[in-house]
Parts: sequence; structure tokens; C-alpha cells
Amino acid sequence: MSVWDPPHLQVGSRIVRPYTMTGGRTEVGERAIALEALVVATAEGVRNRHRYRWESAEIITLSRKETAVIELAALLDVPIGVVKVLTGDLLDQGAVSITDPPATDTEGEGYTDLLNKVLDGIKSL
Amino acid sequence: MESSRSEGNSEGNRLTPVKIVVAGGFGVGKTTFVGAISEIEPLRSEAIITEASEGIDELDLGTSKTMTTVAMDFGRISLKHDLVLYLFGTPGQDRFHFMWNELARGAIGAVVLVDTRRIEACFAAIDFFEKRGTPFVVAVNTFHGRRLHGEQEVRGALQIAASVPILYCDARVRVDVQRVLVAVVEHALDRATSGAGVS
Repeated sequence: MSVWDPPHLQVGSRIVRPYTMTGGRTEVGERAIALEALVVATAEGVRNRHRYRWESAEIITLSRKETAVIELAALLDVPIGVVKVLTGDLLDQGAVSITDPPATDTEGEGYTDLLNKVLDGIKSL
Repeated sequence: MESSRSEGNSEGNRLTPVKIVVAGGFGVGKTTFVGAISEIEPLRSEAIITEASEGIDELDLGTSKTMTTVAMDFGRISLKHDLVLYLFGTPGQDRFHFMWNELARGAIGAVVLVDTRRIEACFAAIDFFEKRGTPFVVAVNTFHGRRLHGEQEVRGALQIAASVPILYCDARVRVDVQRVLVAVVEHALDRATSGAGVS
């Protein structure tokens, strides 16, 4: 509650330089987040949404429904790298959870099952 | 705090995201292909990249790097209640090929879209997926239904293995795109069950 919220700077129309939103950070370290990883807000994130600034609050709003990292970037009109950094922070703070794509492990029987499900799904579109 | 992260559909009713990459030369119809089957209008995301400048900058500020944005178009298809398929169009320009690694990582397969009038535009994509071991099919975009070149001719020009499927499609037509995607997944299944690795 004590976070000072500076005046909003029209981020949507790109008046702010993109990486100022992340405090200049461009990497998420070892935590690689896939473009198609699905982000979903936790109850805690939704409850505390007002504590977050700018894009982070928007990410929480958009991810009430599971939404991929790349979709968040497109919908917010900010670069993918920025969304990755902000989403990584939200993950650490328990405000969102992330579903990574399954490993493409050809050894595993589970992978064959997954491919069969995808195949059925595409055929029945 | 313990951060919550899961792989695939291991908890509750969470969706599992999967992806197929659509590659090919600039202007070959990748976004059209994605748009023909996506449940959303294809969206565009941008990544900011740093690249060595070509030495043409008028203002030399003591740095040899420049920031460039690279755009990727993508679409989404809900498959069943717990699966969602993302289709990613690769950036067309050659200088963005390094982005393909991130796109290909975790992909179940790829489509190399080909315009036989400019067949060389797809060579880089084929090289990339062959080297990486990503299962791919070749889809010849027929643009208005004209098959300018036969399958053997295309196969010969591309020098691809006999096991790589070649299909004809009109990238604007949903059922054609659906057929290509089915071929990608079937090819990936063949590869998975025959024990060939995907990295």
C-alpha cells in the first residue's frame, strides 16, 4: 500500500521509452519465459491490482483469462521483452501464475498423447 | 514467495499452450495463412533487438549497436477445452533469422510456405529446421489455385528428404490451411514414434 504511484505517462501511445517500465532491465535472467506461455492472474494478484503500476496492472487485468505472453505484448502494444520482465516480477510476487508449454520430448509417451490430442483437435475444427 | 509455474496441463483445468511456426520468405503469405484459420485477427507483437550497425550512421555516438524492432504476427486456435494452439509467423527478413530460435523452441512442428516463383526465398527456413531437427512440411502456396510446378520439381529444387511432406494450398482458404496443419502434426507424430529427436 505504501508504493508511491507516479502520475500516469500515457504508456499506450509510447510516450514512455519502453524499458523505463522495467527499470532498464531487459533480461529475466535464467527464467526463460516462452512466447506462448500462458499467464493467469491469481486471486491475490487481482486483489492487489491497484498496488501495481502501468503495464503490470494491465497484465493482471488481461490475464484474468489465461493469455499468452505474446498476446499480452500485442494487446498492450509494448515489446515482448518488457512483458517478459514484468510478468516475471508478477510471478515472483505471486500475482500471476504461468503455464509453460509442454516439453517436446519425443522419448516420452506423454508427448505422443499430446500430439494425438492436437491432431484430433485440428481435424475437428 | 514460492512462484507458481507449471508445465503443460498438470494442474486443474488449465490450458496447455502448443505452437506451430509458419516460416517462408517475405511476402509469401504467412500472415494470410495464419489469418485463414485463427479465431482472432492475427495480432502483431514487437521485440526490440540490438544489432551491430552497418557503419552507415551519420551520428557516431561511440556505439556500434543500434536498436531495431522486429515484428511477429501470430494467431490462436482453441482446440478442445484444454488445448490452445498458437501459430507464429516468422519475421521475413533474413537479418532476423536469429529470432527463429526462440520461435522454434518448443514448437511441435513448422510449415515452410513456398512461392514457387521465388523458391529460393524459403531455403533459409528449410536449412534452419533441418539443422534444428524440427519436424516441418512444405506447403506450396498456389495463389489462386495455379500449380506452376509439380511436386517432384519442387522436391528436386528444395533437395529435401523424401519423408518431408509437400502439400499444395491456397493460404487464404481455411480447409487448405487446416489440411497443412494436420500434415505437420502427423509428420511430428511419425518422427516421435520413430524415435527421431526434436531439440
